[in-house]
Parts: sequence; C-alpha cells; structure tokens
Amino acid sequence: MNMLTLAAKNVTRNRLRIVLTAFGVAISVLAYLLFRTILWSYSLGVEIAAKDRLATRHKLSFILWLPRHYAEDIKAHVPEVTAITTMNWFGGKDPKDESNMFANWAVDHQTLLTVYPELILSDEAKQRWLSDPQAAIVGEAGARKMGLKEGDNFSLMSPIYQGTWEFHLAGIYKVNTIGYDTTQMYFHYDYLNNKIPERIRDNIGMLMMKIDDPRKSAEVATAIDRLFEDRDKQTVTMSERQFFNGFMAMFGAIMSALDIASYVLLAIMALILGNTLAMGVRERTNEYGVLKALGFETRHILAFIVGEGFLTGLAGGLLGLLLAFPVLSAMGRFISDSMLAAMLPAVSMQTSTIITGLAVAVAVGALAAVLPAWGASRLKVTDALRRTE
Amino acid sequence: MVPVIYNLRSLAVRKRTTGAAFFGIALVVFAISAVLMLKNGLQHAFGRSGSPENAIVMRQGSDAELTSGVQDAQVALVGARPEVARANGGSVFPGGSMAVGEIVVGLTLDKLGTSGFSNLTIRGTTPAAYALRPEIKIIEGRPAQPGTDEVVVGKAIRGRLQGVDLGQSFEITKGRKVTVVGVFDGGGSSFESEVWADIDVMRSAYHRQGSVSSVRVRLTSPDAFDAFKLGVEADKNIGLAVEREDIYYQKVSQNLGILITALGVLIAFFCAVGAMIGATITMYAAVAHRSREIGTLRALGFSRLSILSSFLLESMILALGGGLFGALLSLVMGLMKFSMINFATWSEIVIAFEPTPKILIIAIICGGVMGVIGGFFPAIRAARMSPLKAIRG
Repeated sequence: MNMLTLAAKNVTRNRLRIVLTAFGVAISVLAYLLFRTILWSYSLGVEIAAKDRLATRHKLSFILWLPRHYAEDIKAHVPEVTAITTMNWFGGKDPKDESNMFANWAVDHQTLLTVYPELILSDEAKQRWLSDPQAAIVGEAGARKMGLKEGDNFSLMSPIYQGTWEFHLAGIYKVNTIGYDTTQMYFHYDYLNNKIPERIRDNIGMLMMKIDDPRKSAEVATAIDRLFEDRDKQTVTMSERQFFNGFMAMFGAIMSALDIASYVLLAIMALILGNTLAMGVRERTNEYGVLKALGFETRHILAFIVGEGFLTGLAGGLLGLLLAFPVLSAMGRFISDSMLAAMLPAVSMQTSTIITGLAVAVAVGALAAVLPAWGASRLKVTDALRRTE
Repeated sequence: MVPVIYNLRSLAVRKRTTGAAFFGIALVVFAISAVLMLKNGLQHAFGRSGSPENAIVMRQGSDAELTSGVQDAQVALVGARPEVARANGGSVFPGGSMAVGEIVVGLTLDKLGTSGFSNLTIRGTTPAAYALRPEIKIIEGRPAQPGTDEVVVGKAIRGRLQGVDLGQSFEITKGRKVTVVGVFDGGGSSFESEVWADIDVMRSAYHRQGSVSSVRVRLTSPDAFDAFKLGVEADKNIGLAVEREDIYYQKVSQNLGILITALGVLIAFFCAVGAMIGATITMYAAVAHRSREIGTLRALGFSRLSILSSFLLESMILALGGGLFGALLSLVMGLMKFSMINFATWSEIVIAFEPTPKILIIAIICGGVMGVIGGFFPAIRAARMSPLKAIRG
C-alpha cells in the first residue's frame, strides 16, 4: 500500500458523504460550465461579426432613418466599398404567434447575398429571390419555427409599417459560418417602399458594406462619415464587429449577472468541499496521530489531505462535465431556435472552458483542503492520539 | 421534545461545519433575494409609471410609443371626449381637458463605462405632463424653461450615458444641443430613465410638425375607460388604439420581466442544489458524530419522533440563521442599479434592487425549506438508530 492508495482509500471511506460532495461539486461545475459557455458564446458573436464589413447608421440614433440615396453617394465617392446593401428593421410578427420574436429585415435584394456571403441559397431559390418582388428568405431555424417550407406564402404584421404584409418564401438559407444566426428573415426593400405612404418612402435603417481590404476599415469608415458631414443627416460608420460589440453593451448587465453568479457558485463549491474535508480530517485525527507516531512527517499528512481534496474535486468535476453535455446541447437547441441566436451563436462547450472548469474544481478542492490540513499538521502526536471524537 | 438549547449548543460546538453550511445557505438566500428585489424593482419602475386613471392613445398596431404616431387634429378630438377629465382654471392644458400629446424619440449615445452605446428615451412634452404626473419632482437644478433647448433628466439614467447629467449637454439633431438643467425624481417610475424636453424643440429637431407619438389622458374615473376606448377606436379610419396606462407599462416590461425571472431561476436553482447538499453533508456528520448522544436520548425515553424533529429543527435553525444573514447581506444590493436595454421599447432602463419585507421573508423561508430538505434524510437516520447500538458507538 503506497501513499496514493491510502489517500484514495480515505476518499471512499464515508461513501454517502463522498457521493454527496461529488454531486455538489458536479452541480457547481455544471453551472459554471453553463454560465461560462453562455458568456463565451456571447463574445463569439463579436468574433464572427465580419471585420471586412462596415455598418453605417444615423449618427443620432439607430432608430432614425437615413435617405436611401446615401448608398449611391457612397458607391460614387468611396471606391474601397465593393458592395452595399440596405437594411430596414421591419419588426414583423407572426399574426398566429406573436410571442415568436425573430429579426426580419427589408433589404436591397440585389446586393444582400454579395454583402453577406455567409448566406447560402440553392440556385433555384436564388432565382426566385431575385425575380419575385414579394420574395422572402428565412434561415433554417426560423423556417422550422414558423413551420414554413419553400414556396409557402405567409404574412407578418409590423408595428413600424402599418398593416399585414404578404410574403412568398423563395428559399431557406443555410450558413457557411458556424454560429451564424439562422432565425432571421429578409425580404425586398422595394416591396416595402412601394406600399408605404409617400412621406416615409426612400428611408433606410442601416447600410451594410463590403470593403476591398479589411485593414483599411477605419479609414474607409472615416471617409464615409466625412462624406455626410455637411448633410442634414450625419452618419456613424464602424466595422460590423465594433457595431455588434457596441450593441451588445446594452445587454451587458445580464452578462455581468451571469459572470458574478458563476463565481458565487464556485464559492458554494468551495464551502461544500471544505466542509467535507474538514469533517474527514477531524474524524481521522486519531489516525494522523498514529501515522505521525509511526514516523510519517507533517508533509505526508498534508499530502494526504490535499490529495484527498484534489481527488474529490476531480471526481466532482468529471461528473459535472458529464452532466454538462446533455444540458448544454438541449440549451443550445433552444437558443439557436430563438431570437437569442443573434446574441448567442453556437452554444457549445469549448475545450478551454472544459479545462478551466475541471482545473477550477481540482484547484478549489486542493485549496479547500488547506485549512483542515493546516489544522491537522499542527497537531501534537499526543494530543491527536488522545482525541477520541 | 428534545430541548432546543441542545441543538443550539450542538451547532456552536461544530463551528467550522456549521459555518460552511451557514454561508452556503446565506449565499443562496442572497441570490434569491437579489433576484426578487430586481424583479420587484422592475415591476415598480413600470407599475409606478402607469395609473389606472390614465389612458394612452397610440396608433393601431404600435406596441410602443417609439413606433407610434398620432396626428395633431386627432389629439384635439381625443381630448374633447367627455370621458376625459377637465382641468380646473388657469391650467397648463390647452382647451382645458387633461390630455397631452408627447413626442418620444430614442437617441443612441455612448454608454459610459462600456465600449458600447445604448438608447436614451427623450420625451418631448409640455408643462401639462407634470400636471398629469404629480409624482415628478425636480430634486436638483431647476425645471427646464418651456420653449427652450433646456431639458431635465431622470435621476436613474443621469450619468449613465455620454452628456446626460446635470450641467452637461448632448446633440439631439445636427448642430442642435440641449442642456441638462435639472434632475427629477419620478417616485421610482420608469420616467426616471428618460430625459424630458420641450415638445416644440423636438418637433423642429425631428421634423414632426403636425403629429405626436402618443396622447395621454386623465379619465374622469377609471370606470370611464371602456366608454373612452369604444369612442376613440370607433373610427377605424383614424386607426387609433387605447390602452390603460398601467396595462401599457405592464406590457412593455413583460419580456424583460420574463428574462430576469428566467435568469434568476437558473442561478437560484444551481445555488440552491449546492447549498442543500452542503446542509445534508453537515447534518449527516452531525448525526454520525452524535450517535452516542442520540442513543442516550433514546434511552432516556425520547421518542423517535422527537429525535427526528430535533434534528430537523437543528437543520432549520442553521438554515434560517444563514438565510437571515444572506437576506441582510442582500440589502446591500439596494445600493446598486441594474441598467440594460428594454427590448420592447429599445431604450435603456435603469432598475433598482428594491427590497420589501415580503421579499426578505420569502427568501429566508426558502433558506429554511432548504434546511428542512437537507436535514430530512440525516434526521431519519438519527431517528432510526437503535439506542443500544448507538450507545455502544
């Protein structure tokens, strides 16, 4: 019997307690992995936002509109811009299911697919999208949720553009970038523009542009804004990534809450582990006295106790990891079908998250052992042997 | 019945394990209480904004003021309805009826302390708005001069966005700045997350001559609502929709409320499971350590039931103590604010963590329940012990 087997035997001595402890650690690790994965996914949204795409909005508010001809102006004066599409937030809701929130945009249909090469449509679908004025395209998750298939007709109600609008589903797009939102819907801006009252015609919400060289995005953005500096409606242009990043700051409070919660859970985990270890140590005070009397040194005793914490943390961590896979895949499915998909693309556990989660469990286990170990190491042999509890 | 002092002393003897379980429960109760406080803050912010006596008139199909539009001529017609209360003499209400049309715009400004931005709600209004909402009081600076580029800011949103604080200014349209001259208290309502400006300044800045975003009216009584709604919505061509003000605010805060609840439930669930396990471990250990004592108690004639209830009680005392501590700790959150976007209105809303005695009691009870659940199986084990074996150890 060597030192390690002795530590392992100690771990399994009180089965019930160790099962409970491991389970407690597992729950904490599960929650930690869950929250960290959400936070990772949130930052991924910023990562996958293209650097070579620029977004231009009204300087004062992203709710205010810009004149449609700004697109022409940019095309004429900023040669670095290779393609422009316009986007208007439609805010449409399914009249049959108003709780189904998803992003829907009126876009320049000619250029959408050039500016967003991530969207993949079959050739026939592309043909229909370009030729039918009432054509709409929806992502896979969006179509699934609304129960639509290619060729279907459907209608949406918009709080911004009065009335009920009819669309023909030209195609269901797939994406070639993992994590790209597939709940969104796009339709022709011209269809919208032709039906709305004269006074609000030819207004667009945002301009999205592809540029020839992502390294020049800052200069190009400045050039675009300078173009409209003296106009009535000024613009703010930034890379899609910056825009997305800025937009996400609005949800920052929720993410901070999750961030804090993930640490609170670690604290609870430390309390559970520390508690268990302290109890084990107290029960075995006698034995430590025997070990010391046999010639084991303080460092051996320390190694036993910290090793026990380490093993318990590891066992709990592995169990938590095991639980995390099904939980996260269920959550990932739920999120990718909802409007949250735009904010939280690709909810999947990262190797780095897994490693951190396990490392934290093990480290907390070892750390929680420090206090009881310190107490045990200070024991005098005689006192330890005398103690009966 | 085993004396309670026995349980208290037992807890005190095992300081470390008791302490660990105590803090575990405290953290959970803290989390539960904080979430409930936030939810309460949200409900209050929007609940206080709306009064059942007031009605809001918007364009049919608009779900928030920001996307609504009402022609000036219709504002007059709405105000002329008999269900609308009359203002008494020398009033700020034109035409003497308590109706006010307001323009609501969202302005995107840099959010201080982050690299991002958010939307500020600016309400273009008239002095009538203050008469309609008597809870609004200027607490710092002074009221804005009507007809000028002066604005007042709600105390919740001040200092959170670029240029939105007393003495500062920000651009509302190209080359036109408004200056913040006062800070108002809105009694905790969501108005505290808004800036109030002059309606004519807003009209010219945003080319909204001839129309407003919404109309608020004071009804003669809450019961007059149905007749008012019927009357205004009768003409389908005008296309207006009427809602009670309190219901309107309930609707725009609904999704945010669901989100906060979901988040809270998620966090509280995990913390609670963890803490319950912690309590169970502690109580099992307590039972194991005290088998001799339990045996003695049984030999003295205490029944299984008294042993069971004694251990349950002990676990509950532990949990209630931790709960009390956690609940008191959560009061610190009252100093903090939660600031994020309300996606129903696309504007920044600042929510306070608002404690009530009820919330604290609920949170502490949750802690107690966790203690009972956590102590249940250990207590059963204690009650089942045979006195003979237990004394022998």
